[in-house]
Parts: sequence; C-alpha cells; structure tokens
Amino acid sequence: MHKKILIVDDEDIVRNYARRALSSRGWAVSEAADGTSALALIEKEDFTAVICDLKMPDMRGEEVIKKIKARRPAVKIIVVTGSFSKLANPIVPGVEVYGFLIKPFGINEIRDIMEKMLKEE
Amino acid sequence: MQSPSVPGNGLMRKFILYNGFIELAWIVFMTKKARILVVDDEEQISEIICAALSSDGYVLSRAFSGEQGVNAVRKEKFDLVIMDIQMPGMDGISALGEIKKIDPETEAIIITAYGSMSTAIQSMRKGAFDYLHKPFNIAELRTVVERALEKKKFNDITKAIFSTIRSEELLSIIIDSVTRILKADESLLVLINKTGKPYIAVSYGLDGQAREKSRLEVCTRILHRLPVDDINAITLVDEPFNDAKFTDIALIGEIKFAMILPLMEGNRLTGLININRKRPNAYFTENDTQRAKVFGSLVNLALRNANLYRQLQETQSQLIQAEKMSVLGQMSGGLAHEINNPISGILGLTQLLLEKEERSTQSYKDLKDIEKAVFRCKKIITSLLSFARQDESLMSPINVNEPLEETLTLCAHQMELQRITIVRKSAEGLPMINADFQQLMQVFLNLLTNARDAMPDGGTITISTRPAQVGDKEGVEITIADTGVGIPTNMLTRVFDPFFTTKPVGRGTGLGLSVCLGIINKHSGTITAQSEPGKGSAFTLIIPT
Repeated sequence: MHKKILIVDDEDIVRNYARRALSSRGWAVSEAADGTSALALIEKEDFTAVICDLKMPDMRGEEVIKKIKARRPAVKIIVVTGSFSKLANPIVPGVEVYGFLIKPFGINEIRDIMEKMLKEE
Repeated sequence: MQSPSVPGNGLMRKFILYNGFIELAWIVFMTKKARILVVDDEEQISEIICAALSSDGYVLSRAFSGEQGVNAVRKEKFDLVIMDIQMPGMDGISALGEIKKIDPETEAIIITAYGSMSTAIQSMRKGAFDYLHKPFNIAELRTVVERALEKKKFNDITKAIFSTIRSEELLSIIIDSVTRILKADESLLVLINKTGKPYIAVSYGLDGQAREKSRLEVCTRILHRLPVDDINAITLVDEPFNDAKFTDIALIGEIKFAMILPLMEGNRLTGLININRKRPNAYFTENDTQRAKVFGSLVNLALRNANLYRQLQETQSQLIQAEKMSVLGQMSGGLAHEINNPISGILGLTQLLLEKEERSTQSYKDLKDIEKAVFRCKKIITSLLSFARQDESLMSPINVNEPLEETLTLCAHQMELQRITIVRKSAEGLPMINADFQQLMQVFLNLLTNARDAMPDGGTITISTRPAQVGDKEGVEITIADTGVGIPTNMLTRVFDPFFTTKPVGRGTGLGLSVCLGIINKHSGTITAQSEPGKGSAFTLIIPT
C-alpha cells in the first residue's frame, strides 16, 4: 500500500504532468477530475496521500478534504492552490494538511514534497 | 511655435510658447506705449492737450464729438480717454457710459466747466477715474493722466497675474511685471525647495551661470537674515559691494541698487523677489517701495491660488490613481487564478520533456527557454496576487525603523555584491505608526530593488527617517534616495501606473511601485517621486500615526 497517490484536479494538463512526474519515481497514481469521483475512489481504495486542488467544479476543495479525512484519517493531504492567502493550516477546522503546492508548480516541487513525506515516515 | 512679430527680447519670446490670447494681450501691454484718446469739440483745447501729452511719449488720437469718441473706442483699444462733458450731440456723460460698455477697462478723465460739481460726481459714478475743472494747467493734466495710467497698469498686471493658475506661466508673468513696474535691469524670483534650499525659479536679465550663482548667493544671505529682521519688510540695499554682508560675492560690483520683496504664504516665508538696478543714481524711491508693496501682496495672493490649484490637481490625480489600482486589484486576483492552470501545465510538461532531452540538443535549449519564460509569467502572477492581497492587512503600532531594518538585512548581501553602499539617517523621536509590518517590508523591498536596478555600476542608497506632520496629525517621513540613472521628467508622473516600467524586458513587471502606492494609500499615506536624470531618484513616503 506504500506509494499510492490520488491526484484531484479538474485541469487535465495538470493531472497529466503531475501523474508522469510521480509515476516515473515509482508512485502508483490515480486521478480524479472532480470531488464526487475523488470520494468514490477513496471509498474503494486506501492511498498514502491525496493531492487536492481547492477549486473543483462540483464542490469546494475544503469539503472534499474534510470528507476524505473523515473516511481515511491516516491519508496525507497536499493542497494545491493559486493563492497565498489559502496557505492556512488547518485548512478547515480540525483538518491539518501535510503541505501545500502553489500553482504554477514544476515537477521538482511535486517530487520534493512527496520524497520529504516518504523520508519522514 | 516661433514669434514673428515680437521684438528681440528673450523674455517676451518665452510667452509665445504658451497658448491663449491672454498672454498675447499681455505682450502687447508690456511693450506698447500708453494710448490716449482726446474727445473735445473745441479744437484748440484738444490740440494743447495732445501736444503736451505726445511730448511725454504717449500715443494720441482725437475725436471731436461724443459719437466720434464712442466709434473710436469701438475700433481701437485705448488705455485712457480724456473727454469734455459739454459737447453738441451726444454729451460727455452719455459717451462715457457707452465707452465703458464697450471697454470697461479703459480709464477716463472728464473735463468739466468750473463750478459744475454735480456733473463731475455724475461722471465719477459712470466710472470716470477723475475729473479736471476748466481752466486747468498742463501740470495738473499730467499728474491726473499719470495716475490714471498707473491705475490702468496695475489693473492690467492684476488681470495678467490672475489670468493663470499654471505656476510656470505665473512665475514668468510675475517676473516680467516686476521688471517693468520697477524698471529693473535684473530681476529674479527665488523659491525655497523641499529641503530648504533656495533656487532661482525664474529670472530676467541674468546672463550666464556665474551671474546666476552670484545673485542667488545674495538672495540666500538675505533669506537667512529676513526672519531675524522684519520678515514682511521690503529690504533696500544701496551699493551692496560696499556692504560687508555682500562685498565678498563675485560680480556684486554690477549691482548699484537692490530691492528685496519677501514672498509669504500666511506667516511662512516661501521665497523672495530680487530687483536690481545697475545704473548709477537709479536708487529706489519711496514711490517704488509703495508699488513694490502693492505688487508683493498681489503676487502672494496669486502664488497662493496657483498652489491651491496644484494641490487640487494632485488630489485629483491621486483619486484617479486609487481608482485604477482598485480596478486592477479586483481584476488581477481572478485573472491570476485563470492563468495559473495553463501556466502550470506548460511548466510541468516542459520539465518532463527536458528530462528526456540530451543537454546538447537544440530542443533542450528551446525547452529551457520555454521554462524561463514560464518562470517570468510566474513572477508576474505572484506580483498580481500580492496586489490583490492588499485587502488583507494586519495593522498594529510599529516603529517604522523595524520593518526597514528587517528589509535591509534581507537584501544586504545583494547590495554588497553590486557595490552599493547603504547610508542610514534616522532622526530621534519617531512616532509609532499604525501599519502592516509585512506590507511595509514589501514597500521597502520594492523601493530598494528599484534603487539597486538604477545603479548597475554601484552607488549609494540613502535612507532617512524623520518625524513629519500630516495635516494636523503626526507621522513619519521615509526617503529612499539613490545615485542612479534617474527617471526622465516626462515619465515621472507615470511611474506609479500599473505595468509601467523602464526596466529591460523581463526584468520588471511594472507593478512594484503600483503595489507600493496601493499599500501606502491603505495606510492613508502618500508616496512621491523626485528625480534628476543622471543624478538619481528619491522616493518619499509619509505615513500618519
């Protein structure tokens, strides 16, 4: 179950490069383009981490994160945001997140944060 | 624009640069001889008057009835009309009424028969300047004419001085008027700049820098003395070269008589007008001093008007600027978020391709360039977002030196690398201001970065902080001055505009100063720029407590 990650982002191009950046480093990557399908995947599988955008077509990112954490308390959450003002922890009351990725981010930023997470475990 | 018809006088030619008929009327007034119209049905009397006055250098015209007189005024402009009351046909009183309707600025002297006091009073009510009883002698006539023309001249000057509120124009009109009224060989208007240093704002008859320097030195010394002596008084200096206070000044020997007229705004000394005569025995008379006094009060009023107008304009442009900023602030947040996703994609995919490419290939180089371009976009987006983020400020009482020192620590190394010396001047007794620490750091960082970029070959940044007065509130003034390339005057007003930059493509986003302005506005403060191309720029912040 190690090195399994879910990327939740409605932008295909972002999921595309994020997936490839991580799968080339040995991660098993799943993808979801909206909150509903993300929660459906969480229901079925266990992930080490979820990279989650805050802007989603069907529901707020904060809402998705809250539900993921409720279902899988151990999963590490990395929040993707374009705004510095969202760099607040806890992101919603009672929900601490592991880290933040600020858009636009490159492949090294996403790899670094995941490697750091693995080392800490 | 070139002047075709104005005599070869540098002073006059300057006026042609300005548009508008008022200035042209002014030129005519400044250069012409007074024009007088004599209206009298008795040819002999009219002839005597004309003979006497034309020998005094006036230009005379004649009319022999009230109707003729009115027609003449309709066709030509006269400074003065001398008119008999009793004439066949239209009488003098009616003619005077008509003339004043056509040209209210024309002065009139009425000639009445001896003992007809009531008509004299009537004519004064109709706007005559004065009256003469028949028979009068030529000396009497001359005195009245001179007084009437003097009044006309002052009216014209008053009109000219108040015809403009544009400072530059006003200063020229002032110096030309004073030159004329006081028959000056040299005249200069000295103002005091923000740092308390006197400078020549406008002058007449000063040839060469050495002379300017000499006269400015005289004025500077007098300015220092004025508060000690009577600040309001007109100073007369006869033969300043014999005066121990001035005798060491170069070229002082040229000035035979000097008059100094202080300029005041309320009780504050703002500068002075210096009038010099170079001719021997051309000392200033009591009459000259009187004229200077009247003129001085007019000038003070006019300067105050111009000052108020300038302040109004500044406030207006600040409002416009604030509006621009708020629109940009609202727009930039959303815009940045929309652009973030595609930019992220370009960045990520480019980096993935780079990983597979051999370092030696052209594709590798191209991809590196794309990556660099994306980083540039990222920088712009970050600026835009910090712009949009200005709403979220955290105000607390702080000593402005603290964010300043912290910012300096941040960029000290960079400054050292570019051989930039930082000079700190901090005055005692700085009041605490209510401000956002982080945002002030942002302002200082932007200003210091600009200063650094303006000095690619090194230089000095002088940072001074001192207590300041903001209206009736206390505050602090922070000046960041560099010795860099400076900002061309025509760009100085635009430096706070969003996206305006003089830096090479890719170096600046054009948002740094806009961000500063936004932050300082939020602190109810002001930020202004001064610059001298080639010498450096200075940005002054004033933030109230």
